[in-house]
Amino acid sequence: MDVSWESSVTDSINTIYLLFSAYLVFVMQLGFAMLCAGSVRAKNAMNIMLTNVVDAVVGSISYYLFGFAFAFGGSSNPFIGTSYFALASIPDGTYDYSFFLYQWAFAIAVAGITSGSVAERTQFTTYLIFSFFLTGFVYPIVAHWVWSSSGWLSPSSSNLLFGSGAIDFAGSGVVHMVGAVAGLWGSFIEGPRVGRFDAFGKPVPMRGHNATLVVLGTFLLWFGWFGFNPGSFDKILVSYPSTSDQGNWTAIGRTAVTTTLAGSTAGIVTLFGRRLIVGHWDALDVCNGLLGGFVAVTSGCSVVEPWAAIVCGFVSAWILIGLNVLALQLQFDDPLEATQLHGGCGAWGLIFTGLFAKEEFVIQAYDSGESGVTRPYGLFLGGGWGLLGSQVVELLSIVAWVTITMGPLFYALHKLRILRISVEEEVAGLDISSHGGYAYAAHPEENQPRFYAEYMRLQSNYS
Amino acid sequence: MASLSCAATDLTPLLGGTTTNATALANFLCTRFDSISNTLSDASYAINSTYLLFSAYLVFAMQLGFAMLCAGSVRAKNTMNIMLTNVLDAAAGGISYYLFGFAFAFGSPSNGFIGKHFFGLKDVPSSSFDYPFFLFQWAFAIAAAGITSGSIAERTQFVAYLIYSSFLTGFVYPITSHWFWSVDGWASASKPTNLLFGSGAIDFAGSGVVHMVGGIAGLWGALIEGPRIGRFDHTGRSVILRGHSASLVVLGSFLLWFGWFGFNPGSFLTIMKAYGESGSYYGQWSAVGRTAVTTTLAGCTAALTTLFGKRLLSGHWNVTDVCNGLLGGFAAITSGCSVVDPWAAIICGFVAAWVLIGFNVLAEKLKFDDPLEAAQLHGGCGAWGLIFTGLFAGKKYVNEVYPGSPDRPYGLFMGGGGKLFAAQLIQILVIFGWVSFTMAPLFYGLHKINLLRVSTDDEMAGMDLTRHGGFAYVYHDEDDSHKAGFMLRKIEPSTSPTNQSLNVSV
Repeated sequence: MDVSWESSVTDSINTIYLLFSAYLVFVMQLGFAMLCAGSVRAKNAMNIMLTNVVDAVVGSISYYLFGFAFAFGGSSNPFIGTSYFALASIPDGTYDYSFFLYQWAFAIAVAGITSGSVAERTQFTTYLIFSFFLTGFVYPIVAHWVWSSSGWLSPSSSNLLFGSGAIDFAGSGVVHMVGAVAGLWGSFIEGPRVGRFDAFGKPVPMRGHNATLVVLGTFLLWFGWFGFNPGSFDKILVSYPSTSDQGNWTAIGRTAVTTTLAGSTAGIVTLFGRRLIVGHWDALDVCNGLLGGFVAVTSGCSVVEPWAAIVCGFVSAWILIGLNVLALQLQFDDPLEATQLHGGCGAWGLIFTGLFAKEEFVIQAYDSGESGVTRPYGLFLGGGWGLLGSQVVELLSIVAWVTITMGPLFYALHKLRILRISVEEEVAGLDISSHGGYAYAAHPEENQPRFYAEYMRLQSNYS
Repeated sequence: MASLSCAATDLTPLLGGTTTNATALANFLCTRFDSISNTLSDASYAINSTYLLFSAYLVFAMQLGFAMLCAGSVRAKNTMNIMLTNVLDAAAGGISYYLFGFAFAFGSPSNGFIGKHFFGLKDVPSSSFDYPFFLFQWAFAIAAAGITSGSIAERTQFVAYLIYSSFLTGFVYPITSHWFWSVDGWASASKPTNLLFGSGAIDFAGSGVVHMVGGIAGLWGALIEGPRIGRFDHTGRSVILRGHSASLVVLGSFLLWFGWFGFNPGSFLTIMKAYGESGSYYGQWSAVGRTAVTTTLAGCTAALTTLFGKRLLSGHWNVTDVCNGLLGGFAAITSGCSVVDPWAAIICGFVAAWVLIGFNVLAEKLKFDDPLEAAQLHGGCGAWGLIFTGLFAGKKYVNEVYPGSPDRPYGLFMGGGGKLFAAQLIQILVIFGWVSFTMAPLFYGLHKINLLRVSTDDEMAGMDLTRHGGFAYVYHDEDDSHKAGFMLRKIEPSTSPTNQSLNVSV
């Protein structure tokens, strides 16, 4: 049977849209690499950048072999997918390669988040192990629950939780909270970096080595977020029957606007908030605040009004500031503040959606704008408790699932003494001790050690 | 969804035996055609939205490019400050442009001076505007404020920066864009009736609206503030204050070039439009491609001309000068990119390079210090770009891009008379006047209440240390020199210069 003209055109347009969105999400990998590099000390730059590269390359293999299958396979199991291993029978009527690539770009982002929490003190071999496991198993299961039409939390399932399903459009929970909770356990089990808290428990600032890279990374992440959020519509050519000129293209534009407004608001609020608290205008805090706003709006970006996105960003800025204060008091050390940002702001994002989702937009996103359909929507807009309840269930399930999978893994690695590096290696820096040399050779005329044995020899010369 | 197929077997029941049920037949056919038409309409919305959205994302990438260009062009001790100004441009601009900037710019129907609908995006989406258009215009708005920050870099108080940036993005820039880009604007080339000089000014993607506005605002800021300490010595000789990273300058320039592919071609807003007969290979998609080509050629020519020009003038091959020349070429072609032939774009770039070199020489003679040479580049090359359009705009292209008024004026050198050229001159004068009228008093007022320039001590130490919590670069841990023990005291930023290394490269 010949393919009809109409479906060729539709499929081409949708594929272009999804593929370019996937490329944008991939750019976020570069952005996160730069953000990480700039936020750690110079002696650990090689290490953290390599972990980001490894996330992408190792994650590709595990996600291709079985991660995508666990996430999107099968049509009946609400917990885990059971088909499409190694992309068998793709393309079929439901999924094509462009969809796989798009989902792959999401999957490799998750492990990157965790790498920030355990930065500067984790053994590289361990990193390979948990990254593979997180991207290939832990994350895809959560994705299945929320994003597969058979998932038990999905708003597209035939058996909607609380009559609603949980709305996590581009993954405040599925992506950001999963990465953050894993990072929480890794960082907590490992303990703070050497020298981070002094003998009295007071925090010692450990500044990143390059603010330019942090800003570069933040802007690249912002740029890539235009693929992350609006791209999650998957198809742009879907018209809404009750209108004459609106369709997914309208909602996609609106999603890009809500994304921008949430991040912008969070950035500005962080600017003035930190100015009040620490007395100066801090570029790095503003960058983190911005990202927190994006993380938070990721859940509800497609189903809220632009003004609500401003509220989202405003609250997420204070949540990040507050959680950072709490972390210091609890002597919790996360070099990228990834747990606080992705976990805290991600959780707020889920709640925010349960409060502010608009029914018309929910129907656009999940029922292609069909008329005569009703759905639970935001509590503050009069939509009842069904949606908010589902959001809370999603939040708790993610925390529980990631804890029972990654917690014991990190603990076992810790007990086997392959999680954290030794104190000497940490003081020397991972680059010289495990990665063959420093990232920067700014002063070649100085007596810089070229490899670890030389470094140790120089140390003993000093003392 | 209704079927789009149409087969004879569908029609024969309606034709019956000997009678033809004409009405039913007609209704049947018309319904089918309506379905096809609706599907096509949906497809064109999807195509155009995809095109405009991705163009908007590219223009946003220019924000990053400009941040990196700025960072690399200033001294290391001011890096945090300039990058924060770029981040804030985007963030604060997002809010002010959403709340009222977009309304002032595009709020039709209104008067020729200022718009008055769509505050807070009320009534969007409408038949005239959808969200992708807002996002695209937002990306432009935040670019203008970024330009100004380059002129006043390294010596401006952050509070002053917040004030002028909100004012520029929320008011001065939107009003300017209303005049030249809104269908109501008094000087707009897309006005349906009563065009200025029968022509309207053609500033397709904003050599004037964006680049001149940013550049002239920067001119006043830098003039009123005065040069950086040490820029001109007591005998009046100029001292080069080199930026701290050529790599960042190149990174930023390439990102700006990349983003310009959204800035210029994206200004068509839609791509699915035929020119003349449908079914031909020539349509707006061709014009979009041609615009990307003219953009590229102008930038390349300007860069090459600068390369050889500076080799003659200063004796060596200078990468940062070439990058600035490249950007000057882009700033100039931005006005006429869609309405000129590719060969004309080469001329545009060639002249832009000399305009920039000339303005830089003039700036030094007049002791005008602009760390990014933003006023010379965006102001000077932007103005040249407007003139260039008035000389070289082609008849066919002008009528395709601005349909509705055939026999309208076009480029002077192309036989189109002097009216377009005159309109371009008016645009230059009006932008210079409006921006001076609004921004010069603002900068002067800030100066008078001591809010504009930082103190001498702050400037010598570097604003990162004094206002932003510390240096951007920390290549060696503070505890590297303490081999025996761990840090037991908190590091406080000190106001006297430390032994931190400032000669770092990325």
